[in-house]
Amino acid sequence: MILRVKFNKKNYLKYIGHLDLLRLFQRSFSRAAIPVKFSEGFNPHPRFSIASPLSLGIESEEEYMDIEMAERIEAEEFIRRMNQVLPKDIQILEAVYPEDKRSISSLITWALYEIRFATKVDMDLDEAKRIINSWLEREEIIISRLRKKGRKRVMKEENIRPLIGHLDVKGKEGDEIVLQALMKVGEGGNLRPFDFINALNEAEELQMDLDSVLIKRQSLYIGDGEEIYRPVK
Amino acid sequence: MIDKRKLDRILKKVEKPARYIGMEINSVNKDLEDKVKFAFCFPDIYDVGMSHMGLHILYNLINEEDDFLCERVFSPWTDMEELMRQEDIPLFTLESKEEVRNFDFLGFTLQYEMSFTNILNILDLARIPLLSRDRGEEDPIIIAGGPCAYNPEPIADFIDVFVIGEGEEIVLELLNKYKEHKANKGDKESFLREILSIKGIYIPKFYKVEYKEDGTIKEMIPLIEEAPKRIEKRMVRNLDEMYSPRKVIVPYIETVHDRIMLELFRGCTRGCRFCQAGMIYRPIREKSPARLLDLAEDLVKSTGYENISLSSLSTCDYSQLQLLVSSLMDRFSEDNVGLSLPSLRLDSFSLDILKEIEKVRKSGLTFAPEAGSQRLRDVINKGVTEEDLITAVSYAFKEGWSRIKLYFMLGLPTETDEDVLGIRDLAYLVKDLFFKRPKEERRGNFSVTASASCFVPKPFTPFQWVKQDTIEEFKRKAHLVKDSIRDKRINFNYHDPELSYVEAVFARGDRRLGKALLKAWEKGCKFDGWSEHFKYDLWLEAFEEAGIDGSFYAHRERDKDEIFPWDFIDIGVSKKFLYREYERALAGETTDDCRIDCKGCGIRDCAMRGVFN
Ligand code: SF4
Repeated sequence: MILRVKFNKKNYLKYIGHLDLLRLFQRSFSRAAIPVKFSEGFNPHPRFSIASPLSLGIESEEEYMDIEMAERIEAEEFIRRMNQVLPKDIQILEAVYPEDKRSISSLITWALYEIRFATKVDMDLDEAKRIINSWLEREEIIISRLRKKGRKRVMKEENIRPLIGHLDVKGKEGDEIVLQALMKVGEGGNLRPFDFINALNEAEELQMDLDSVLIKRQSLYIGDGEEIYRPVK
Repeated sequence: MIDKRKLDRILKKVEKPARYIGMEINSVNKDLEDKVKFAFCFPDIYDVGMSHMGLHILYNLINEEDDFLCERVFSPWTDMEELMRQEDIPLFTLESKEEVRNFDFLGFTLQYEMSFTNILNILDLARIPLLSRDRGEEDPIIIAGGPCAYNPEPIADFIDVFVIGEGEEIVLELLNKYKEHKANKGDKESFLREILSIKGIYIPKFYKVEYKEDGTIKEMIPLIEEAPKRIEKRMVRNLDEMYSPRKVIVPYIETVHDRIMLELFRGCTRGCRFCQAGMIYRPIREKSPARLLDLAEDLVKSTGYENISLSSLSTCDYSQLQLLVSSLMDRFSEDNVGLSLPSLRLDSFSLDILKEIEKVRKSGLTFAPEAGSQRLRDVINKGVTEEDLITAVSYAFKEGWSRIKLYFMLGLPTETDEDVLGIRDLAYLVKDLFFKRPKEERRGNFSVTASASCFVPKPFTPFQWVKQDTIEEFKRKAHLVKDSIRDKRINFNYHDPELSYVEAVFARGDRRLGKALLKAWEKGCKFDGWSEHFKYDLWLEAFEEAGIDGSFYAHRERDKDEIFPWDFIDIGVSKKFLYREYERALAGETTDDCRIDCKGCGIRDCAMRGVFN
């Protein structure tokens, strides 16, 4: 019995890595007395998995995980108990028992990010828009990243342009330019926001102040082609 | 509060940023207004400091009071420090991100001498003047406690108030006095004078030390009438009634002890002659199994931890260990909560218990014979025989362990080359025990590792009179062992002798070392306990420039009647007893565990004399 759960990860808790987050949930299940199924063997672990783990330093409004339950408990009850024991910046938002038996990790296809950054020189919004749009119009946007090849790690070049769904320059708040970007995640292609930022930084005119970059994942989506939608509601 | 945007800029760039964010489960965020604010500092990185049980006790004890609050500070790791200095961010507490210098108290726990430079670095990062005499009304009161406070003199220049003994006995009394004092608008000076009347408080600036021509101490003179000539340690009498937290902070990142630490008892009566903890924490005071079970229940519930570690100086000496372990197992195994024992005694009883609780992996097992020969083990009163080792190791192999670690010390008093080579002999003995077993019964990949640390004589031990081996001597002995081992399955390693030398200087140092410490920090020494950061050449320069002869402290055999810098502190155990033990050591005579029979160590109304005999 799978319980599919939507949660967030905000403020300073964006600095907790994926493994630390798993440990936090494990301990929270135990504190909240949630009947999670445990793996067999010498070192039993609760069975749950988080879809498309966030990189360190990225906030999120909507994350998803699947939990294998040993017993059914009502979704509301689950949310209530968990939110009592979780820190205030990681809270459960929704929970459902899905009918689709495929795992959440295999379903996720797109992620929507909000990206904020300051520029090293003062720049008006139109200028930023112009630079970013012309960057996006390139036929290929090449990044090189470390890839595992057997045991070795090799640098590989990759065109990330097809991995960018859309990119909007939303506006300017204070000295920060605000973007919204839809990027591919999952097995059918995966663009990590930091790779995106580094690629965008190649547009030198933009004069990004890399230390000021703030990234927030706003949502994850499933489905492909014409229609994409949120996994829970 | 510090500039959070600046903080965000740098957190993205450091290793393990979660060290600096606080917000963990069971951490406490209070409104800073109108509270007595206490910043508790473990002067090392978060990962180490959060594993210290004393922190959790004091943190919760203080935070349970409405009028007080306690927040945490650790040493930022070098990457973080660099960025903080670059971005001009002062040191802040994890909870409210408030500047440390805006607190009323900054309290350091002194767990090892080699953290002293970190204390200076923390003061500097917090923008608090380093020297006590340079600080004003606006600066926090700098206090310090913990095992190294039993010889507070080397850092007397930097600390305003020392707490001698167990902090939980005294801290609320201190904070209450401060609250009253603040309400009456009293100044710092009058507060410090006032708290001299609290037992266990030592304030260095109210004392003057006079030296003899040979550099030893002539006299320690109180400068004002209220300053007591002797400072008695504070001690919790009844551990069952003592404050014990029912919740502890659960770090997000993995720390050194990422589990519940259940303290079974304090003190140890085995009487190992090199061990300071065994003397300063006397007598033994136990918690009852019922109390422990009750605490464990709440701690598991409030933390969600998956493991309970039964921690104490020599856990297997707990008088009702069997009962405790089986009740804990009964209660928690269903919830997938495991148990672990941090220290083992070399007997089958301990191994039986270990076998019971660690049904899991049987990889490494650690024993500490401390010395290679029986003669030397008798000198240090480590009540372990070769026979014990044989029994324990054979048993361990039979039960499926295959990797053994042995801990030793080099440079123990009266040590000869023969004793040193005993380390090799024991390692080979362990190997033979493994391969003597029938082939079909050998399990796992065998290896034995013998690790040797360099002996550092400590105050308040029977060896406080002895000289430490020189660095060259340590190295010679280490190579003697190393070169005599010709087997790939036997490993030998030893700790930095240079580091142990500096540690020895400070362990038995006096006030004059303050200058050297300051110089060393100015030259860039910090994280000295981490061998990759320890800079011996800078320390030598610092000693030289401060006019300190390190050998005077480390390599000098003391006279029986020499006045030691720490003699004004009364730990309960008498100097006479320590000297008697020293003489017995030289004569190779052992002294039994005093649970069996009181040895007259000097502790007044020792409860053990009635309870255990
Ligand atoms: S007074 Fe006696 S029983 Fe008590 S700690 Fe000292 S030697 Fe042991």
